[in-house]
Amino acid sequence: MNKFNSVKWNHYLNYIVVAAVTVIFAILSLTGFIDSSDKYLLEKIAIAITLAVSLSMVVGFLGELSLGHAGFMCIGAYLGGKTAVILEPMLGEWPALIVSLLVGGAVAAIFGMIIGLPALRLRGDYLAIVTLAFGEIVRSIFMNSSKESFGGSLGLDTPRFNKDILFVVAFIMVLATLAVTQNLIRSKHGRAITAIRDNEIAARATGIDVTKYKLLVFTVSSFFAGIAGVLYSYSNFTVQSTKFSYNYSIEILVMVVLGGMGNINGAIIAAALITFLDVELQTILTGNLAVLQDLIYALILIVLVIYNNAPALKNFREKYNLKAFIRKFKPHNPSKHKDDEAKWDRVPTKIKMDEILSVDFQANSPYTPDKPEKEGK
Amino acid sequence: MEFIETLINGLSIGSTYAMIALGYTMVYGIAKMLNFAHGDVIMVGGYIIYVGLTVSGNPIISFLAAVLSCIILGITIEKVAYRPLRGASPLAVLITAIGVSYLLQSSAQMIFGSAPKMVTIADLGSISFSGLTIPVYVLVTLACSVVIMTALTLFVKYTRTGRAMIAVSEDKGAAQLMGINVNRIIMITFAIGSGLAAFAGLFMLMKSPSLSNTLGAMPGIKAFTAAVIGGIGSIPGAMLGGILMGVVEAISLKIPVIAPYTDAIEFLILIIILLVKPTGILGKKRREKV
Amino acid sequence: MKKIFAFVLAVMMILGMTACSGGANYTENNTEFVIGVSGPLTGGAAVYGVAVQNSAQMAVDEINANGGLNGVMFKLIATDDTHDATKVAANYASMLEGGMQASLGTVTTGPALEFKQLSVEDNVFFLTPSASGDAVPEFDNGYQMCFADGNQGKVAAEYVNSLGLSEIGIFYKSDDAYSNGIFEQFKDNLDPSIATVETVFTGEASDFSSQISTLKDCTFIFMPIYYQPASIFMTQAKGIIADNAVYYGCDGFDGLAGQFEDFSVIPQEVSMLSHFDSNATEGMAADYIAKYTENFGTDTLNQFGASAYDCIYAIYNAMKAAIDAGETIDVTISASDLCEILKAQFQGGFSYSGVTGENITWDASGYVAKGAVKYTLKEAN
Repeated sequence: MNKFNSVKWNHYLNYIVVAAVTVIFAILSLTGFIDSSDKYLLEKIAIAITLAVSLSMVVGFLGELSLGHAGFMCIGAYLGGKTAVILEPMLGEWPALIVSLLVGGAVAAIFGMIIGLPALRLRGDYLAIVTLAFGEIVRSIFMNSSKESFGGSLGLDTPRFNKDILFVVAFIMVLATLAVTQNLIRSKHGRAITAIRDNEIAARATGIDVTKYKLLVFTVSSFFAGIAGVLYSYSNFTVQSTKFSYNYSIEILVMVVLGGMGNINGAIIAAALITFLDVELQTILTGNLAVLQDLIYALILIVLVIYNNAPALKNFREKYNLKAFIRKFKPHNPSKHKDDEAKWDRVPTKIKMDEILSVDFQANSPYTPDKPEKEGK
Repeated sequence: MEFIETLINGLSIGSTYAMIALGYTMVYGIAKMLNFAHGDVIMVGGYIIYVGLTVSGNPIISFLAAVLSCIILGITIEKVAYRPLRGASPLAVLITAIGVSYLLQSSAQMIFGSAPKMVTIADLGSISFSGLTIPVYVLVTLACSVVIMTALTLFVKYTRTGRAMIAVSEDKGAAQLMGINVNRIIMITFAIGSGLAAFAGLFMLMKSPSLSNTLGAMPGIKAFTAAVIGGIGSIPGAMLGGILMGVVEAISLKIPVIAPYTDAIEFLILIIILLVKPTGILGKKRREKV
Repeated sequence: MKKIFAFVLAVMMILGMTACSGGANYTENNTEFVIGVSGPLTGGAAVYGVAVQNSAQMAVDEINANGGLNGVMFKLIATDDTHDATKVAANYASMLEGGMQASLGTVTTGPALEFKQLSVEDNVFFLTPSASGDAVPEFDNGYQMCFADGNQGKVAAEYVNSLGLSEIGIFYKSDDAYSNGIFEQFKDNLDPSIATVETVFTGEASDFSSQISTLKDCTFIFMPIYYQPASIFMTQAKGIIADNAVYYGCDGFDGLAGQFEDFSVIPQEVSMLSHFDSNATEGMAADYIAKYTENFGTDTLNQFGASAYDCIYAIYNAMKAAIDAGETIDVTISASDLCEILKAQFQGGFSYSGVTGENITWDASGYVAKGAVKYTLKEAN
């Protein structure tokens, strides 16, 4: 019993919830209760979660801004999809799926490592624009590929898979992403990564191999983006490169930011809700109302971001939120915590986001403005 | 001969990028934020010019109206969407900027419909000498960019407000302590940036008269790339980066094998330049401290 | 904790949504015949989607005003896919749930490749007004009202071959399925003795000075592109490309005339191979143009809309012909049953005359057979 209590349930809650959701829907699917459009939506949600969690590693934990996540996904979608189409007649459904997931992920990971190299030299906005450029280059190459190789402007025909099971596979990939990401973040390597985020020079001074960790994060993150791409190619009938523009990278970034930087659970929820909302808006607002979709999305985005981040609303936020609401009903019991109990197992996950785009870092400063050299010569 | 022709085409393409990049770099240099909505302010400027031309028929009046409306729009956006986030993460501001961009695009479609509008401002004709033809608007755009670039540089260096801008960009807190009204300075920055957007709108319409709600989107990204190549925050750098991008694009389009990959080549050049010089061609190296 | 709570809420929401669907026969409560279409109603390609939506609605309203099909009214559902193939699946599902019995498919080719796969699974009939990709009518439930791209390229090449030119210029959009599709077939069928100068653009480029200087010595330029970039090209090419040159395009050129207040500012000849001319002054096309302009203005008047208008009437006529032939078409007929009836009609010698052509028929693979006319939009000055 004691052992049971000492398990850190908080660590496993998101696995349990995701697994429970998967099982529930798998049962519903087997009993014929949900139709194909719902399965497609579930696949979409799983892909979005995989993307958001993997991007969250780069943006939330390493503290670098990436606007090229869709590019890695694009590599996975094209190469994984092509591999699967070639292999399926030879190996059968399941082996083709597994091999293509590995191929798509691995090639994306190699490119992630290559893009991680400039990250060693570039910071902030400069790195952001390099990742954006990378994404556009990848897209342009697939866009202009020949019809025989990757379909060119008509897009690549993709492999098919049993739709009753595909979303389960997709959610298993979500679990795999979560497992790798969370274990990495909670390990000593994770603490090194967050140390780099909080102060790179100090981290370097304490002997952390910054090069290694930056490359590691970029590689792992793009591996899972590649996996998401392979799932995407299974989920859709064609892969068309127009989808993977920088706008899509930004969509993923929005999920990460709305979920709260460095908050994996937040990213999961934001990804699921945004994907769901997107489909709902699209199918409810038809005909002449269609133009309202973007308008509503934009307004929600602006209001949410300002509400979540505006310094002036800090007091308001702390007073009226769900946590405070729950706390009202939960009696505070100080005897549960011992005075000297330090929670070393927890990595600080909320970061000061000033530092993401700024080049200067100052220790102990709550606010770090960016300081360029003086304009004059 | 062919080379000179390609160079002229490059100038034609690059002058537009330079014009947009000036606005980007101005806002980035002072307010330290990527204003993703800049391209859409250009689009709004274009629509105001269109409305002005339909109502008054006078290009100058409609252009002035566009400058004025863009300035008001820029100030409003800054006040409503960006100012509440002053002191919060730059990433949050980036996301609201994207939100504003979507908002402007869909509002434009709601008001003006989905069909592109044809806007004929003035046919300036073209100059020919020794077999080369240069459209006059290219020369006008280039001249205007140079004038604006010089004016901005002088303004920032020698006026009280300009120096206050530098102070704000270096350290908001310290600037405030020195009695500078940071909010006012940033507001002025946005006003100037958005005014420049109206200029960019005018020159884009002079070149390609088709006006739709996505007018500013891709040129905005390209111009931003140009600003980064030149060293974002540097006013002459924006000009240089813009022209360079234009020339690269023109050369790449001339070579049939790589012509379809023109966008990719431009972005590749960006990556190479940044790898060699991590803060762009004219960007200044920043010191890092613990 | 609150995040977990929110997630559970989200799951409940999705559950709530799914609970009301699931394997039902969506058409059993229909009180009208429902026709669905998915197209770009917002975004960069919105002008085409809006034209289709407006025209299809106009046709539906006309049919209803004339008493529908034996007293049963029609209803159009137009959904927005922003020219993004990944949005088609959700649109398709929501239209099915809305009781869709027949469809106009999608407006553009990219999304149509997704739509054809979805619709073949449920056996839903579609007749697309403008998704002209060669692969769109791959399955037996899909038909096109527009010419297929490859076909257009072939016909255009035959025309060019007949002109006896020694060199032509080609200007196309290399990242666009429509433009590429026409270009490839054009190239394949072009007389090899004709030299070509090729130049491309991508994305939403709006400065064609480089391409224009490449093409400046050509007197015949083939442009398989849409009218918006074409209008920019023509404006920028003034004074550089010879005044007696010919710009020759395909059905994408339609709408060009509406782009210029005064077409004579373009000195060159502009002509196109198409099934519709938005300047038509006689016949059904003129009636359609008058009616469309009255309702929606000239902004979005183009061949996409004309084609969509015909699609609705073709489906309506085919249903009527089936009833005359003894079939029973009930208002609650399932999409699959209606598909079989319509397929039998479209394969069985059904012919339709409308805005975009006379005696239009369809071949076994779903491609349209009708006369393509060379329209000269403007003579050289």
